[in-house]
Amino acid sequence: MSFLTLTNISKSFGSTDAVRDFNLEVEKGELVSFLGPSGCGKTTTLRMIAGFELPTTGVITLDGQEITHQPPHQRNVGMVFQSYALFPNLTVAQNIGFGLEVRKTPPAAIKERVEEMLALIHMEEYGGRYPYQLSGGQQQRVALARALAIRPRVLLLDEPLSALDAKIRTELRLEIRRIQQALGITAIYVTHDQEEALSLSDRIVVMNRGRIEQVGTPTQIYNYPATEFVAFFVGQLNVLPITDLDPATSSCRLGGQLITLESVAVEHPLQDTPHLAIRPEEFDLGPARQPDQNQLTGRVETLIFLGAIVRLRVEVAPGLLVSVDLFNSRELNLPRAGDEVVLHFPRHACWLM
Amino acid sequence: MKARALLGKLWSWFWIVLGVLYFFTPLLATFDFSLRARKGMLTFLAYEHIFKDVNFWRTFGFSLQMGFYTIIVSIVLVVPTAYWIRLRLPQLRPLAEFISMLPFVVPAIVLVFGLIRVFSGPPFHLTNTFTGTNALLVAGYVVLTLPYTYRAVDTGLAAIDVRSLTEAAQSLGAGWGTILLRIVFPNLRTAILSGAFLTLATVIGEYTMASFIVGIKAFGPYMSLVGQNKTYESSSLAIISFLLTWAFMGLIQLFNRGRAEGQLAGAR
Repeated sequence: MSFLTLTNISKSFGSTDAVRDFNLEVEKGELVSFLGPSGCGKTTTLRMIAGFELPTTGVITLDGQEITHQPPHQRNVGMVFQSYALFPNLTVAQNIGFGLEVRKTPPAAIKERVEEMLALIHMEEYGGRYPYQLSGGQQQRVALARALAIRPRVLLLDEPLSALDAKIRTELRLEIRRIQQALGITAIYVTHDQEEALSLSDRIVVMNRGRIEQVGTPTQIYNYPATEFVAFFVGQLNVLPITDLDPATSSCRLGGQLITLESVAVEHPLQDTPHLAIRPEEFDLGPARQPDQNQLTGRVETLIFLGAIVRLRVEVAPGLLVSVDLFNSRELNLPRAGDEVVLHFPRHACWLM
Repeated sequence: MKARALLGKLWSWFWIVLGVLYFFTPLLATFDFSLRARKGMLTFLAYEHIFKDVNFWRTFGFSLQMGFYTIIVSIVLVVPTAYWIRLRLPQLRPLAEFISMLPFVVPAIVLVFGLIRVFSGPPFHLTNTFTGTNALLVAGYVVLTLPYTYRAVDTGLAAIDVRSLTEAAQSLGAGWGTILLRIVFPNLRTAILSGAFLTLATVIGEYTMASFIVGIKAFGPYMSLVGQNKTYESSSLAIISFLLTWAFMGLIQLFNRGRAEGQLAGAR
């Protein structure tokens, strides 16, 4: 049996269904992200695991014990909030030791655990400071240490990095993963940031309108999106209208140019009027070099330099624009707006939607 | 450009000076009058008479005591209520605000007659004993000072992320009692103190309720009596009550120093 199980969970607020038919099994030591747009039900699901919301239907079990109706303070579940939620009246050390104090842990043991946690987050010198004397990143580190100090059965993180700037966010993301793996703790991570979910998670649950769209590893989610929503929500995607689809030869025409697909992709069209889907990073400049590659010719409409990536918009037919991401390098011979370019991409990189 | 800036500065100072004159001229005149108890010289004789009057100390002590009880009851009543409304019943906030404002609308004389009429008869019979009468006065004061206490506490709650702090404490294993005592009350310290001192300042000088429920035992009716019978002493009492109010305001500043910033910044 899995460590954390959510079975047929649904939650309604009045006439609004926030979560519907949610089923998930999480193994011990796994980090699972709930990814989706605002209002998709990811935070509501997390709050039901924490005990702050009661499911309308369904059962939640943790470590073999049913916790569906257990009050939050009896669940031994650690929670990290977007707003840090550090107690302003307590010092860093007192914040970290709060949960242990509530459990009537002896003072010596609290002191030892607090020091251990401060070392874990590399903030040994900050025990005597108050939250307002810390930066956002430091406050979130303390919040993490406070949640971990009680040795929770599950660690719940509700968009913990959303309030931080980009650089701190990347650093802290790595640190959260390092600590989670070092302690072998089961964690649920809520985010709307796909990069965060892809880089952190063992598995990702993509949610939309209260339902699970897909559950899978980051590579499964990105490379093999199960639904149109996942394909659009995770990563960039070109969805291009095609004509002359011929299942016998697995080919079609894109703006009059011949495209060949892997036959398996043609057998599973998701719409009656199929479109060709392809990630921008699958393209490369230059003519096709191998027989299993497709080739497209077009004119560069815009070029945006993003540092590691150069983003082109190429018009392959009148009014038909393709987004192309090229990895930047010193050798890259960049075209200019208005230049004619030839692009190629492997057959297996595109599929029909 | 420079002349324009200078003119703007002068204009600002004009209004400041005008405001100071408006507020302080009557006070200075009262103070000056209170020093003229003896003809032809300035003396603190009126103040001496007041401080030597045993009724001053007795009534002041009584009102101080009532103020203290009012603060305790108000805090016990208002803090959990306002906290719960913010946390679980936010749709009731407009109603709670309206109720908290009622004492500004309903005259104290109406309130006191209502209190006496309801609580002096069966089954309460509160006015039959001194304790009952004092309890009735405290209850009246709690209602009368509700606008100050509720507003102060509600503003304090708005400055902290009540929901997240509560949920954080719950996830760490804290029950409601621990949350209220360890998290809510300490983080509302500034707000509670502001409400408490405003309550005390109101109760000390309150006349209507005190005169109808306990009579001359309270400081308000005593001040009124002195005002009717002793010319210079009444002015000195006015100055004393001003000084007391300012002292309470000073205490608020003293207690809040260095804490307000920490509480607000840390709450985010």
